[in-house]
Amino acid sequence: MLGKLKKGEKCRILDISRIDLLVRRRLLDLGITEGTEVCIKCYMPFGGPIMVESCGQCIGIRRVEAVQIEVERL
Amino acid sequence: MDIALIGNPNTGKTSLFNNLTGSYEYVGNWSGVTVEKKVGQFKNKKDKLIDLPGIYSLNPLSKDEGVVTQFLLSEHVDKMINILDASQLERNLHLTIQLLEYGKPVVIGLNMVDVALKRGLQIEPNHLSNQIGIPLTPVIARTGKGCDLLAEAVTSERMSEPNARIVNYGIEIEEAILRFEQLLDNKSSRSARWLALQMFEGNQYVKKYVKNYIESEKLDQFLVEIKDTVKRSTGVSIDQFIFQKRKETIDQIMADAYIKREQIKTPLSEKIDAIVTNKILGLPIFFLLMYLMFMLTFDWLGFPLSDLLDAFITGTLSNTIENLLNAAGASAFIHSLILDGIVAGVGGVLVFVPQIFILFFFISLLEDSGYMARVALVMDRLMEAVGLNGKAFIPMMIGFGCNVPGIMAARTIETPKERLLTILLTPLMSCSARLPVYALFVGAFFVQQKAFIVLSLYILGIVVALVLAKLFSSTILKGETSFFVIELPPYRLPQFQALWRSTWDKGKGFVKKAGTFIFAGSVFIWLLSYIGPGGTDVALDDSYLAAIGGFIAPLFEPIGFNTWQAGASLITGFLAKEAIISTMNIIYFAPDEASLQGLLSDYFTPLAGYSFMVFILLYIPCLATVATIYKETGSKKWTAFSMGYALIIAYLLALIIYQGGRLLGFM
Ligand SMILES: Nc1nc2c(ncn2[C@@H]2O[C@H](COP(=O)(O)OP(=O)(O)O)[C@@H](O)[C@H]2O)c(=O)[nH]1
Ligand SMILES: [Mg+2]
Repeated sequence: MLGKLKKGEKCRILDISRIDLLVRRRLLDLGITEGTEVCIKCYMPFGGPIMVESCGQCIGIRRVEAVQIEVERL
Repeated sequence: MDIALIGNPNTGKTSLFNNLTGSYEYVGNWSGVTVEKKVGQFKNKKDKLIDLPGIYSLNPLSKDEGVVTQFLLSEHVDKMINILDASQLERNLHLTIQLLEYGKPVVIGLNMVDVALKRGLQIEPNHLSNQIGIPLTPVIARTGKGCDLLAEAVTSERMSEPNARIVNYGIEIEEAILRFEQLLDNKSSRSARWLALQMFEGNQYVKKYVKNYIESEKLDQFLVEIKDTVKRSTGVSIDQFIFQKRKETIDQIMADAYIKREQIKTPLSEKIDAIVTNKILGLPIFFLLMYLMFMLTFDWLGFPLSDLLDAFITGTLSNTIENLLNAAGASAFIHSLILDGIVAGVGGVLVFVPQIFILFFFISLLEDSGYMARVALVMDRLMEAVGLNGKAFIPMMIGFGCNVPGIMAARTIETPKERLLTILLTPLMSCSARLPVYALFVGAFFVQQKAFIVLSLYILGIVVALVLAKLFSSTILKGETSFFVIELPPYRLPQFQALWRSTWDKGKGFVKKAGTFIFAGSVFIWLLSYIGPGGTDVALDDSYLAAIGGFIAPLFEPIGFNTWQAGASLITGFLAKEAIISTMNIIYFAPDEASLQGLLSDYFTPLAGYSFMVFILLYIPCLATVATIYKETGSKKWTAFSMGYALIIAYLLALIIYQGGRLLGFM
């Protein structure tokens, strides 16, 4: 799961179908989909959102959604 | 010719718009700066250019994105400029494909080539243009490089229709499109292929539009059928399938366009991010920046500048006007009108121009550097706890400048509930028009702790907003999931010129208001103070103004300011917050700020002064804000609510502060 990786780790997204439809649409808009490589940039404190980078583009998403994204470590 | 400018958020549309039309719209480095369409004229004076909000796809999620779809459905457009961010090509091309399907001629402006180069991306414009099949011009919208070529390309007469079939969606969907074409039977002037594909993707705006031409039941049945067919034969939902097909085409384009990628070291942007969105340092850095902003505005820089201006207006300027009036032999009436009415009223407000410009400068800096989106990220956890999301913090920050654009910026919030809540609470942010009131009162009562007292008011506004957000979201606005995905644009070094323009853009409203609204208001208030039931030129206490103010004044006894002067200024404060200052200047006949402050201490105790400031901070959104709330919510009920709750909260807090303060022995 994306939400379980450590800061600085890279991974490839395997499955995003479990996330809420709205969030998934927005992620698609931003180019995040199955097969995309992402890198964890940082975690905000107190269970706040996480910042990930893909293709030089940074995106913030909440942890509840992040844990629903299946990934494989690279 | 009408030419629309369309592209993803933050790709430089507005910068390009300004360059192509020679006008100055508001540029910023966060998604959602432009929330409405703006029309400008090309330098050739013939064609019109239309700037639209940034979108990722024509199937909108938020209200500002809906503006574009609605525009394409209902308004006339001859050609389109699609602006692409060269450093994010794949993502941007999804929109390009949809624009091609729309069927109008499209020209591509390939922007941010400088950024792409720094990232190690080399794009060959000719190859890319050939692959997509439409003209393409590389530009740097920020500096204007290449913009003339782009203007030429798009305004030239000859332009071929684009290839609307750039993506082949496979037999099922292609057949469905043909069937839809028959159903529609040329009744709409929009491309049937585009309409069909948008509906398949679930675009509600388009579906509503098509229902004007095709019976609702028939259409629904048709859509259900095709959705089932695709699901059965491919195993994925139709919108996902369409997305995949487009992605395949894009991957092909990227592969064939000889785009070179080199690995390069960590960009500067990520290094900065490592610090400002740091787990531990993120929040402290944000508060430190806010603190610096307030100290500069109120203490270190703003105050001395305002004092200089005050000295000029009440000294040199007033004397000159007085001499002129004497020389012209003006009557006592005119004399009093100009000096006691207009100069006191308008001048009293203009004095604060330096402070307001400094504040706007900082807000522009936050916007243009890219920090704004980080603030949303850093704040999300806190906002989530009160039933909002981090994006709601951006309208609130903008609201520190002026509540009206703040409320407009709430359009970028996707969920209707969170958007409404943000609209209702943004007026609690202390806008720049409230600043003169504080400046006056802290000057009179709290000289030692100026910045601290003002900061306490700003923070009070935020705290009240958060508490009310929690309250409202767990009572009247319950339900609906929260939603937060945000794009964090790379940091960009703001250009001085752009910064100055956007500062001026925001600040000029204040100056303009002083010259129109406040001017007229000052004349009117002065008249009310000049005439009374007993005739003209009456003693101030016998004027109509005293009668009106005195009527509501007793209501304010429990919160410390039972004077008709306070009552009268609160009424005018609804029209514009800075009118409070004009009114007080006129009422107290004060020749300048310093003597007004001296006079104030006869009418207010320091505690009552603080209670008054708290009341001003919260008591009601100004007229322009109320109008915007009505426009944005489209609901009389919520507009009335926004005024009602503010009045109640303001009174309650002022009561607690005044009575509590007295119990604790403050004066
Ligand atoms: N480096 C670089 N920055 C640009 C370029 N064009 C625009 N920008 C910056 O990108 C940000 C977003 O620009 P804006 O015009 O507001 O984009 P819009 O959201 O599409 O209207 C601003 O900070 C601009 O200064 C460019 O060609 N190169
Ligand atoms: Mg814009």
